Amino acid sequence: MTAILTSTRASGRLAGGLSRLNGGLVAVAVITLLAVLGPLVAPHTATEAAGVPFTPPGASALFGTDDVGHDVFSRVLYGLRLSWLSALAVVGVGMLIGLVAGVLAGLGPRWLDELLMRITDGFLAMPGALVAIAVVAAIGPSLEHTLIGVSVVWWPYYARIVRGEVRAIRSRPHVEAARLSGIGRLRVATHHVLPGTWSSLVVAASLDLGYVVLTLAGLSFLGLGAPPPAPELGAMATQGLSSILTAWWIPVFPGIGVAVLTFAANLSGDRLQAQSGRI
Amino acid sequence: MLALAGRRLAGAVAICLGLTVVLFVLQHLSATDPVRVLVGPSASTAQVDAVRHQLGYDLPLYAQWWHYVTGAATGDLQTSLRTHRPVATDIAQFLPASIELALFSCLIAAVLALVLGIGTAGRWRGAAPLNTVLLAIASAPAFLLTLLGIMVFYRNLGWLPPTGRTSIADPPGGPTGLLTVDGLLTGRPDVTLDALRHLVMPAVCVALLPAIAVGRTLRSSLTTALESDHIRTAKAKGLSRRAILLHHGLRNSATTPLSMAGLQLGSVFASLVVVETVFAWPGLGLYISQSIPTSDFPAIAGTTLLLAVAYVAVNTAVDITQAVLDPRLAR
Repeated sequence: MTAILTSTRASGRLAGGLSRLNGGLVAVAVITLLAVLGPLVAPHTATEAAGVPFTPPGASALFGTDDVGHDVFSRVLYGLRLSWLSALAVVGVGMLIGLVAGVLAGLGPRWLDELLMRITDGFLAMPGALVAIAVVAAIGPSLEHTLIGVSVVWWPYYARIVRGEVRAIRSRPHVEAARLSGIGRLRVATHHVLPGTWSSLVVAASLDLGYVVLTLAGLSFLGLGAPPPAPELGAMATQGLSSILTAWWIPVFPGIGVAVLTFAANLSGDRLQAQSGRI
Repeated sequence: MLALAGRRLAGAVAICLGLTVVLFVLQHLSATDPVRVLVGPSASTAQVDAVRHQLGYDLPLYAQWWHYVTGAATGDLQTSLRTHRPVATDIAQFLPASIELALFSCLIAAVLALVLGIGTAGRWRGAAPLNTVLLAIASAPAFLLTLLGIMVFYRNLGWLPPTGRTSIADPPGGPTGLLTVDGLLTGRPDVTLDALRHLVMPAVCVALLPAIAVGRTLRSSLTTALESDHIRTAKAKGLSRRAILLHHGLRNSATTPLSMAGLQLGSVFASLVVVETVFAWPGLGLYISQSIPTSDFPAIAGTTLLLAVAYVAVNTAVDITQAVLDPRLAR
């Protein structure tokens, strides 16, 4: 009886939490949809020769063509998809590791809590972007390695948030009731504690997305990303750097692409935070 | 208070040691064998083994790590695989330019953040649109700012030079290494002026993001502080807006923006790497980005270690300052 009562209450709280998050989540979903569908409206593929090199923006090529004749507009659309999906992957992996570590620290034995929290403290006290540069430089530049490198410095942040929420939730009556009614520890953790950590985790993650997009673009600009001619926005800007004075459109449009993507992510994160703070 | 400072300092040392562990592990994950690179591809196995032994790469891992830490503590950051010089020597050469750029960026960021935070605090009609505009500016990647800066201020207006640190053929070599200061010390104001013209654009590009982050935090904590009871009392007493803001509002709302400012140093360092690359600014950021294509991991690790230690030191100082500002935090 108690178990039924508490679990409906918990799911009621979960539903309430999610409806609060709707606005921001819808925004993230819309950006994802646009990013995934974007390449469908691209007039060319990312790596095919589309016209005379160095054609300025105009009717034949909306954003002009680059030094080997690729269509910059098409490449930016493909690059936006790559950037956004990479950022989602980093945040997703970070949230997953953070959830596991946070729950282990919050519910596990004291020594495990101490150990995990000292590790997260250490990571949080280091300049993340620089450590990510070092990680990718050590294991060699490629898209997967960049995602690994950034995820490595990103998860501790989520682990702390989850751990804090778990410690607050685990002493609440519904968790105690669930434990007393003989439910196993794992099920208590996944069904009665975890749902309560979602809303703060999602708010933190959505506030982070824009910063992840910027960090990944910066690494790609420094040559730590997929090798050319992959349509990475940062790498495209680097390639166009030498022609900034004669063909500004080659490096500038990819940069504007990053800015627009980051702005969209920041706006939805900002709204989400404002909404969740009001309640 | 002293106990707090002691705890924080011990923590900072522990974090720096942890960082050396991370860098050491990364070095061993790295595919490049530093010994092979140093002796060259044509060296015999015996020669490789001799150099490996001489550099201590054949010791057990914990001994190698200890060797690395004690070396780093005494200024030995291994040898660069690209320049074949000690990393510490390279860093000493690139450091002054970075210090100059970083100091100017922090100065500009601090002024901008204060103006933004204080100038827009409180609830007013334009606050929401301003917030959105700031968010938009903060969304621009550092390399886009540098590109737009070069296009507008160099190509179109011709006001500022596009690259480098100085256009004077024989700049003074000392005593501080900061051209703006050395120009004044050696009685050559033209050097200072020229250095300033080169500094403005990169420094603003580095400063914008942290300035907005700190400014927004300051704005929101000031807005909250200005709505508290003691501010209403101060208003009722008839104090001027300025006195209320400076004496009753600012100090109470300084702690959050301060810790934000400390954390933003990380983004300053990350932007330095990008901005120095675009402007060919002869600093540590350029050194890092030139070391990336050649997989010169000792150079990257040494520079990262130095910058990270600076970051940890500044954030430790911020922690202690916060406890001075708000003694409740020291308990």
